Amino acid sequence: MKHPSLVICRCEEVTMEQLEEAYASGSCTSRQLKMKTRATMGACQGRVCRTLVETWIHVKNPDGPRDAELLSYRPPIRPITFGQLAKDEA
Amino acid sequence: MERIQNHPILGRWQTPREPVAFTFNGKPMMGLKGEPIAAALLAADVRTLRRHEESGHARGLYCAIGHCMECRLSVEGKGLVRSCLTPLEEGMCISEGLQLPNEITGRKLL
Amino acid sequence: MTKDSQPDLIIVGAGPAGLSAAVVAAEHGLVVTILDEFPEPGGRMLGQFHEEKGHWWVGKQIAHNLIEQCCALGVHIRCGVSVHGMWKNGHRWVIRTSDGSITAANVLLATGGAEIPQPSPGWTLPGVMSIGAAQVMTNVHFVKPGRRGLIIGVNVLAMAIARELSVSGVSIAAIVLPSQSPLSGKDALPKENVEKLLGLAHLAPSPLMRMGGRAAHSLKMAGVVTHYFPRGGIKLWDIPLKLRTTAIAINGKDRVESVTLADLNGRGEMIAGSEREEKVDFVALAGGLYPLAELASVAGCPFVYIKELGGHIPLHSEEMQTPVAGLYVAGNITGVESALVAMAQGQLAATSICRDAGLLGSQSDTKIAEAKQKVQQVRASALIQFHPGIPKAREQVYKMWAKGCDCVENN
Repeated sequence: MKHPSLVICRCEEVTMEQLEEAYASGSCTSRQLKMKTRATMGACQGRVCRTLVETWIHVKNPDGPRDAELLSYRPPIRPITFGQLAKDEA
Repeated sequence: MERIQNHPILGRWQTPREPVAFTFNGKPMMGLKGEPIAAALLAADVRTLRRHEESGHARGLYCAIGHCMECRLSVEGKGLVRSCLTPLEEGMCISEGLQLPNEITGRKLL
Repeated sequence: MTKDSQPDLIIVGAGPAGLSAAVVAAEHGLVVTILDEFPEPGGRMLGQFHEEKGHWWVGKQIAHNLIEQCCALGVHIRCGVSVHGMWKNGHRWVIRTSDGSITAANVLLATGGAEIPQPSPGWTLPGVMSIGAAQVMTNVHFVKPGRRGLIIGVNVLAMAIARELSVSGVSIAAIVLPSQSPLSGKDALPKENVEKLLGLAHLAPSPLMRMGGRAAHSLKMAGVVTHYFPRGGIKLWDIPLKLRTTAIAINGKDRVESVTLADLNGRGEMIAGSEREEKVDFVALAGGLYPLAELASVAGCPFVYIKELGGHIPLHSEEMQTPVAGLYVAGNITGVESALVAMAQGQLAATSICRDAGLLGSQSDTKIAEAKQKVQQVRASALIQFHPGIPKAREQVYKMWAKGCDCVENN
């Protein structure tokens, strides 16, 4: 059964169909999928869908290396206001 | 949604929590002081906490522990907060997260 | 600078691992600060309870005991504080938080796990939540997640929380399989799920036998011939466990109103005409847990992928050290296991930190050996085991550690 509109990345509302399109156009690592579709780039920073994107690409290419290009984590890893940052620098 | 007054395993809340008044989208509501805003809103049967900034789709509580950012909403004087981690205070003016205009796609909001 | 802004040890995460570590470290004279972004300490233990040998194991009580010990020892627990980054300045870590920076020579990351989603068509509707959210709302905040709910996904986490919700008076219509997609894989097939649950039931001591009593027995009977697994499901406690039913879609306008269910044959194919709507006002998605290790990555720790431990974990030794000087890990960040294992790991990590700080003197070898042994014992007797292959997977990590970092991914 197909789920063309199944949302994978909630923050950016990226669907499985969009992942398929990106894959067909040559995005074949989780990082490339992220760059192409914005999956994992939303407000949760991929905390929710990172494992889905990694699993999805692994299922596509199960014999390839697991996570050829691991997604990165970049600070700030939690939401922070300019006020909080400013307090920190003071 | 129903509050559990006397939990079958965990018992009652150790010290009774003080009821406080707040507003959500201008509507007056009651909650318990210090509980997360998301818990107070759930108890008041509010499911939609936010509209997706692009699509406007309704969104609600998802992870309840600060990981997913789905429950972010606006508290007057504080800006956008994760409602699952932000303690409720007396008199808070809370409103749901809004769909935003988009300069690139040209979407304007009424 | 006050003592408080420059502790000897900063622990990120006030759950079972973090609190247990703080007690041991403070007992050895270290000045300890714990940071946690949840409004109260205790971590996910706050909402956990299960029946064991006729009595209830209550995480909240254990958390409160640990918090009391911490307070008596002068541990500073700061809640509602989010750590958003960390970096090394000379020999000290600078921990950047939503409430200013603090520094310490040593940092213990005890950040626990996060939930793996179980995406289903319609899962962005308000009222659809991760199963952990249902647990936290019910058992920590004492607000029911809804009037009647459905659980999608079959795994240890789903079973444990379904039981808690049911005991707490939350009505659960059923536990069903996720719809089939490239992501659900074998998790959406009845046969594989019966086998998975039987695999759990065969563990000695068997968690399902102990958790589910007779339910596990009927499951075993059902598993003999999967396609005879009753379409109506079996009862696990008072919750219908439906391994031949799949959730096709979650429906509603701006909130959950129903879920479309369909029956599957023994091979996992949908039975035509079996679609129907189940009226529920909330859905809990159970996809399992993965180690939440963002800070380890920010701190420059290499990662390894170990499926049995829940995915990518920071490389660490059996003594909870990472390859990064002054950085330690404990609890679910090192692999998904129960709270009791996390507590023993926290104690071991703190013992290592004290040893590395030269506080244990001639006793160091004995104390480390004791703490290691305790982790192994607790692991072997854990009631809730997330994966049968955990002890072997742990050995694999320690082998990688012994070989050095040449075999690991850089993040």
